[in-house]
Amino acid sequence: MSRQLLFTKIFKWTFTLLIVIFFIWAFTGGYFQIIFDRPQQFFHLLRQHVLMVAVSSALAIAVAIPLGIFVTRPKFKKLEWIVLNTANLGQTIPSIAILAIVMTYLGIGFNSAVFALFAFSVLPILRNTVAGINSVNPSLRDAAKGMGLTPAQVLRKVELPNAMYPIMAGVRTAVVMNIGTAALAYLVGGGGFGDYIFTGIVMRSNEYLLSGAVPVTLMAVLVDYMLRQSERVLIPKGLQRSAPSDNGEAA
Amino acid sequence: MKKFLTASVLGAAALTLAACGGDGASGETKGELTVGGKNFTEQFVLAKITSLYLEENGYTVDEATNMGSEVLRQALESSQVDLYWEYTGTGLVNYLGQEPVASSEEAYNIVKETDAEENAIEWLDMANLNNTYTLMMQQEVADEMGISSVSDLAEYVNSNPGELTFASNAEFASRADGLAGVEETYGFEFGDANIVRMDSGLTYQALNDAQVEVAMGFSTDSRIIGFDLLALEDDLGFFPAYNAAVTVRSEVLEEHGELEELLAPLAELLDTETMSELNYLVDIEQQNESEVAKEWLVENGLMEE
Repeated sequence: MSRQLLFTKIFKWTFTLLIVIFFIWAFTGGYFQIIFDRPQQFFHLLRQHVLMVAVSSALAIAVAIPLGIFVTRPKFKKLEWIVLNTANLGQTIPSIAILAIVMTYLGIGFNSAVFALFAFSVLPILRNTVAGINSVNPSLRDAAKGMGLTPAQVLRKVELPNAMYPIMAGVRTAVVMNIGTAALAYLVGGGGFGDYIFTGIVMRSNEYLLSGAVPVTLMAVLVDYMLRQSERVLIPKGLQRSAPSDNGEAA
Repeated sequence: MKKFLTASVLGAAALTLAACGGDGASGETKGELTVGGKNFTEQFVLAKITSLYLEENGYTVDEATNMGSEVLRQALESSQVDLYWEYTGTGLVNYLGQEPVASSEEAYNIVKETDAEENAIEWLDMANLNNTYTLMMQQEVADEMGISSVSDLAEYVNSNPGELTFASNAEFASRADGLAGVEETYGFEFGDANIVRMDSGLTYQALNDAQVEVAMGFSTDSRIIGFDLLALEDDLGFFPAYNAAVTVRSEVLEEHGELEELLAPLAELLDTETMSELNYLVDIEQQNESEVAKEWLVENGLMEE
């Protein structure tokens, strides 16, 4: 075990060093020049990117979690299979194809991009919500019922708090994927950092490529971290794990 | 496994026979040529016309189309492609690293001389086909605002800043000889917040759907005719010349001396208007490129029915 810890430490340090070296290389090579030359444009793209991700993620959360709760109610259990498979199907269509299809109905720009990102984000949240609620210990439910809680109270006080870890994991997955996928919005005129990334590809310019790709990466890391921190607020103290969280990293 | 091998050998043999059987001139070919092409309609049509025409004249032709400019140029330099239609402006700016030139003749002369000397790549006759950038508006909208040239547009933008939005592809929006150059030459600025970048082919659609008021496009694109758009007059002559000409490696030209003369009629006949019409047939009327290319060749007496 201690050996493993040592390896982990070495890996972490090497990784950090590599990142530092990368940034030194990028800055000295002037690869972020685009950002410093046209800060206005950069912030404009940043705003577009954030807005796209925020709106589509919020919509996905607002649809997927209630839907997940709905199909796990005993009365509607039959629907679970249909709903999950529909969402699965939505996930299998390549994001570019969704963009192309949606564009014909919603036109060019922000709306199409948001809808496509939304369609792409629903599944991970829905799947984890359903799995999370289904994995709540049945004896907990029984105990709650025995204490005289109404079904709504059971949901609010027992099921949701206990399913919060998987639900949050689904939200994190969806949002982080969303941040990367949003770069494709350029294709339909939705703006965001995809403008820089695709300009970089077309013009073979590392300046544009990195000025777009690095902010996207940083945004994904930052948002993931923020969502992890929010778990502390959303999950009741009694249910919080001090042990490693769901993907094996120390929380 | 054995079965599979036999089958594939037979299949390959059949294909070879089929390929040779086309013109009945198997074995007597003047040589093998690979015709390249980029990844948009006009280039598909140009490559098709050239391939069919060369086949008609006794060559065995391979086609390698659907490539980006840079990739195609590298394929030409590394002998994977023998000839393709390139634009003078692209040659000048992208491959020779020079400043763009607005005069067709001048651009052609520079590129022809320099490319032959430095890279052993010959530019055959220049066609009167200038596929350069253009700024477009919807016909009615332009009439309403009294805009018919880029100067008019500049004036309008300067007196109504922030009103007009502009659709562009990534390249035009960030190239020095693109939007920045237009704005500098004509003395106006759309402003960062009013520029919508999108995939190349979509700008026409964005304009047609009135998502933007102004869009960049290419002067030979069929959708200018198809959507009834107005290509604004470049009255200060800013946009660089992008005339099409066949580029071919010098060694290929030495080996097949007649190519220059053989391909001359194509350059003679293909002008901007003709090309727009051919593009229109493929893009808007959804005809097959091969059919369009063949019909055009037959019409002009360059190919037997």
